[in-house]
Amino acid sequence: MRPLTEDETKVFFEKLSKYIGRNIVHLIDRSDETYYFRLHHDKVYYMSEALMRQAISIGRDQLVSLGVCFGKFTKSKKFKLHITALDYLAQYAKYKIWIKPNGENTFLYGNHILKAHLGRITDDTPEHQGVVIYSMSDIPLGFGVTARSTVETRKLQPTDIVAFHQADIGEYLREQDTLF
Amino acid sequence: MDVSEQLETQKSKYKSIAVEKPIPLQYDLALLAGFDTNALDESRLKNDTDNYLKEYTRDGTQLIINQIFKLPITSSDLGIMAELPEQTTVIPREKPLPKPKPPTRWERFAKAKGIQHRKKSKMTFDEATGEWVPRWGYKGTNDDSTNDWLIPVPQNDDPFEDQFSKRHEAKKERIVKNEARHRRNIEDAEAELNQSKGIDARSLRKAELQRQIAMSKTATASIGKFDKPLEGEPKLKGVKRKFEPSIGDVKKEKELSLNILKKIVGKKGDIVNVRKAIAKRDQ
Repeated sequence: MRPLTEDETKVFFEKLSKYIGRNIVHLIDRSDETYYFRLHHDKVYYMSEALMRQAISIGRDQLVSLGVCFGKFTKSKKFKLHITALDYLAQYAKYKIWIKPNGENTFLYGNHILKAHLGRITDDTPEHQGVVIYSMSDIPLGFGVTARSTVETRKLQPTDIVAFHQADIGEYLREQDTLF
Repeated sequence: MDVSEQLETQKSKYKSIAVEKPIPLQYDLALLAGFDTNALDESRLKNDTDNYLKEYTRDGTQLIINQIFKLPITSSDLGIMAELPEQTTVIPREKPLPKPKPPTRWERFAKAKGIQHRKKSKMTFDEATGEWVPRWGYKGTNDDSTNDWLIPVPQNDDPFEDQFSKRHEAKKERIVKNEARHRRNIEDAEAELNQSKGIDARSLRKAELQRQIAMSKTATASIGKFDKPLEGEPKLKGVKRKFEPSIGDVKKEKELSLNILKKIVGKKGDIVNVRKAIAKRDQ
């Protein structure tokens, strides 16, 4: 377990800022307790200071996971967000998409979001913007990237893709062994 | 009608264009500059600073403009133009003079022997064709491969040898040799430079050799993993990665990540959503 280097922080923040923009500040600079991002086995974890101090006495090989896993660095040093970060993404998301109940299931099986399933979308969402996906009852279901801007989605056919799937809470079942 | 009074009042509104100065000014009109060496009136400078400076500047400017009107003037479509003279002020160069290049081996030899360089023109007259040809280079007179259609075989030489290819080979060899000399001259110059800086040429060469050994060692199929180490071979030290401690300076870490964040989010400039702002304004 170690802090992220400058380059790693840059890559990580760049990815994270696609979803929550400058709200990352609220993750770094919290009023309640000091929270840290730490790298462990190529995965980035978000944890409180108390938890980190406890975990420091555990050996690297023995420590499996701690805190909230935000995602992992790939072998080519890109950053991939995991669904486990959804809590924080949903809390601070800048752009949101709500999907209708009939679309929830297909999304949770890893499919893209179609125009037919689109319930609501934040105004002025640009193209290729990271968005958090909610059900109509405001339960965060995952996140993805918009295929079209808000204005353009109005002209689309019902079978056209509105947002590309990146992660959904179905992964808690499908990818249990690699997720945390 | 007497207009002399009106003229007088009109004239008194403006100052005279003649300015009196005890020491005449020096001008460099190419820079539109005048240099006044007269002493300033200190009492006025102290008590009535603003007015005095204004007057002083006006006088100086008037003098320069007077000078400009003395220059040869031409009028064209663009207006009336004065032709400025050549610049007389010498401005010092920004950078120091380049250091002399260290002499090559030939230059040193020539100096020792007292050989002097005689300037030769590049073109020479070819009497056979009656044309001027370059002494060297493309279509030069010393490019012997193109000129001769026949080469007599020298005595005591193998008659079946191809004299053309022999000549070609010899030229190639000369080129290679010259390149080696050029390289040697550069190395010598570098060594001299290092010596003047106090860097030992021997240790420099040693470090370079060690680096080359280290590089060549990895040039096997196993990246040097199964090679037997040489006797007295220095152990290679790689670059060690260094990370911050897990529990370090909280403030510093926070500041660092906030700085990085500022760079990332700042450059996008998404503080204001322009479209939304315009929509709000138009409501």
